[in-house]
Amino acid sequence: MARDPKYDILFEPIRLGPKTMKNRFYQIPHCNGFGSEKPLSQAYFRALKAEGGYGACCTEYCSISPESDDTHRVSARLWDDDDVKNLSVMCDMLHEHGALAAAELWYGGPHAPCMESRCVPRGPSQIPSDFEHLTYPKEMDKDDIREVQQLYVDAAKRAREAGFDIVYVYGSHSYLPQQFLTPYYNRRTDEYGGSFENRARFWRETIEQVREAVGDDTAIAVRMSTDMFMGDAGTQLERDCLPFVELVDEIVDVWDINVSGISEWGEDATPSRFYPSGRMLPWQEAVKKVSKKPVLGVGRFTSPDLMVEAINGGKLDIIATCRPSISDPWLPRKIDEGRLDDIRECIGCNICISRWEIGGPPLICTQNATAGEEYRRGWHPEKFETAENADNDVLVVGAGPAGMECAMILGKRGMRRVHLVDANDDMGGIMRWIPQLPGLGEWARVVNYRKIQIDKLPNVELIPGTTLDANGVKEYGAEIVVIATGAYWATDGLNGCTHDTIPGADASQPWCVTPEQIMRDGKDVPGSSVVIVDNDGYFMGVSLAEKLASEGKKVTLMTHLGQIAPYMHFTLEAPNQHRKLHKLGVDIVTYHMPSRIQQGSVTATHVYDEEAHEESWEADAVVLVTQRRSDEALYRELKDRVGFDALNAEGITGCYRIGDCEAPRLIADCIFSGHRLAREIDSENPEVPKPFIRERRVIERELAVA
Amino acid sequence: MKIVVCVKQVAVLGDEVEFTDDARDVDPDYLDFALNEWDSNATEEALRIREQLGGEGDEVVVVSVGDTQVEDAMRRCLAMGADRGVRVDFARSADPITVARLLAPVVRHESPDLVFCGVQSSDAVQAATGTALAELLGLPRVAVVTRIEWDPSAGRATVQRELEGGLLDVTEVDTPALLTIQTGINQPRYATLRAIKQAEEKQIDVVSPDEPGDPAYRVRRMFVPPKGEGAQILDGGPADIARRIREIVAEQLK
Repeated sequence: MARDPKYDILFEPIRLGPKTMKNRFYQIPHCNGFGSEKPLSQAYFRALKAEGGYGACCTEYCSISPESDDTHRVSARLWDDDDVKNLSVMCDMLHEHGALAAAELWYGGPHAPCMESRCVPRGPSQIPSDFEHLTYPKEMDKDDIREVQQLYVDAAKRAREAGFDIVYVYGSHSYLPQQFLTPYYNRRTDEYGGSFENRARFWRETIEQVREAVGDDTAIAVRMSTDMFMGDAGTQLERDCLPFVELVDEIVDVWDINVSGISEWGEDATPSRFYPSGRMLPWQEAVKKVSKKPVLGVGRFTSPDLMVEAINGGKLDIIATCRPSISDPWLPRKIDEGRLDDIRECIGCNICISRWEIGGPPLICTQNATAGEEYRRGWHPEKFETAENADNDVLVVGAGPAGMECAMILGKRGMRRVHLVDANDDMGGIMRWIPQLPGLGEWARVVNYRKIQIDKLPNVELIPGTTLDANGVKEYGAEIVVIATGAYWATDGLNGCTHDTIPGADASQPWCVTPEQIMRDGKDVPGSSVVIVDNDGYFMGVSLAEKLASEGKKVTLMTHLGQIAPYMHFTLEAPNQHRKLHKLGVDIVTYHMPSRIQQGSVTATHVYDEEAHEESWEADAVVLVTQRRSDEALYRELKDRVGFDALNAEGITGCYRIGDCEAPRLIADCIFSGHRLAREIDSENPEVPKPFIRERRVIERELAVA
Repeated sequence: MKIVVCVKQVAVLGDEVEFTDDARDVDPDYLDFALNEWDSNATEEALRIREQLGGEGDEVVVVSVGDTQVEDAMRRCLAMGADRGVRVDFARSADPITVARLLAPVVRHESPDLVFCGVQSSDAVQAATGTALAELLGLPRVAVVTRIEWDPSAGRATVQRELEGGLLDVTEVDTPALLTIQTGINQPRYATLRAIKQAEEKQIDVVSPDEPGDPAYRVRRMFVPPKGEGAQILDGGPADIARRIREIVAEQLK
């Protein structure tokens, strides 16, 4: 189908100083775990977005010097000529698709722990980082200022040599130029501190010098946070940012506008739990009003209507996307081709970001199992080879995230028939009820996208309302069987702390409940006081605490961990979730593990109390969020009772399990698991993942013959 | 016992539609095809009756009119459990009276105890084939049936049918009879992959049609309705609006 003319404006070219971008789709700098050291993974990852129609794609933050080394996290680097070579691959591949390449030149100041380089970062004032513990900068004197500015200039020249069309002087997320602008970081009393002019001096001079060095043929981008939400100490829109835009607008080619500092950058990379699309438009619009240059910015835009509205409303000139471009690298192309229902919309879970926060593993995406796998596994999210065994029929039992993904990809790989069988009346599995937890509505996109795709595939059929036992599977008539029956929350308090059940825990009792009993089965949580035992540490415990407290119950959230939901720090959801629970009056008890549960109370001990003093909490009801267990009954029956030989005799050549049914895991990993099996269904042994390319240095030498 | 189920492969519109060059039909490139939903229920009902009352040698026979492609829809019925099929080889988009004329000799030849048709097809929505076929066969017919209690030995069935406004009518009918089956009478079963494979081996006889005579109607032109001038919103009290409507109608009638 053709593009709807109402989206034409998104495809109009725009000038960025000496460069012209072919349309209004811009992949904002974002991390992927590849940096300059995995150059082909990096290049293939970005190039797929250019292939998908993006007019410009950026590196992640790109360090200009070993003294801005973010190890344990992974940044790109332009430290030397070898980095130039490595990043030039990305530039070339982007250019082949007609996209511009941008490098986000980065100097972290106190936030760079320099764990690999063991250098000392320099900063405006000697105050340790609010983001990275135990990291102090050296306070810059005038020589330091000249030297660091020269580092920017040298890196900008290297960026141009690598083939980048746009270089950033990056401040947002509380990095060095913005630190100078911000009283919270800048306590100087010389001409680089104090008044606005002084605080702006370092950034202004640096932009001038970079422009002087490369500005003739390279566009200069400035990324600025326009509100740190810290009161007078933080950068402020009216006081600092709009005057700064006016000060340097002449020498900047494009503005990249967001909000937040680094220690709460979930205010920028907003989880869907707290913010809808376009949450930064008021700040972006304010800059656009004072600037004569193009303004771009993110807002987790997945809807072309909202994109058009942002441009027509005078709020943005260019639609930048980060997470929506990970979830669907072909977002622009699908809008262009009028294929809106094929867009894999970002759900705003921030599992991608969690990998950067953890410090280095390649990014993953809940919606797009191929994200990060473009080079190392050769996966393309939109292209599928017909399977060599496509004349087979496949039975997939269980239509949760893993089963839906597996059936969909098997369908796209041209299997003769795929039957996706589920006991419920529709597909979704756990994703039928998880999106009903507070704030998680957008997570339902996991089901919606797959449902629409499966509906379009003539060879894939959902068989709802059908429960199969081992005999049913054996006689179903498939050549390949995939078991995706999911997992369930332990009903007896089995947990990863004591590696044992909790005495008295029994979810068959009316006062003792598990998450799916509440959300899926509608089991009542009796009484007014409830203790939630959370040994899981991600979204389930805190979401139920929020739900039950919102319903007026007195909620105690108890965990053996040092903090509730530690994984939500990685997804940037933690700060606002803490605020919510605090406001709702949820009593948070950390470092405590129940020793006994009974109707009316939970008895627990401090995990570091050697004498194990017991303390009790009133509990009309107890919610067990202790651990999950695979629902592997059907698989075990097939393997242990019927036996794979007997299945073979019925013409079943392979029986595999995927997702939570094998071992409970993240939703993203369930979907990956189903995708992986479908991609490799015609490999020698589909059960075992094929090796992936590891980008590493290999020593050339003969192996001793054993 | 033998039950004949008359089924149709219906066309399903995609997002875009183009017409054939003579503008008398939708270009088949823009169509998907599926078993008519009502006919799926009719097949299921026939299978249930055979399972409850039937025995060795009893049959459910599906009959359809169309080219080889309609056998896909017939195979779905065979995968559900129907025993065999008969296809009348004819162009797909015949009018319902022509279809009834084509079906009649085949059904008569089968000499069934019951004949089921769906109430209507989802693409043409004329609800005429079943009634026309009953007339041609000289069979009693009950339309929009939602429950069947059949006593084969007495040659009599008690059937419940749906009327307008949520009313139900329970009536008795002598069999053989033709019943048009309403959705909701049952939940059609899904076929396993094995049943689908087995259905590929089941017999579909192809018969050449008798001369069906003149069609009941001819399609002269298909087109997308032109966009209207836009709605007119009338403000004011009921009396004002009523007067204004009367004026508009009078103007239009001039």
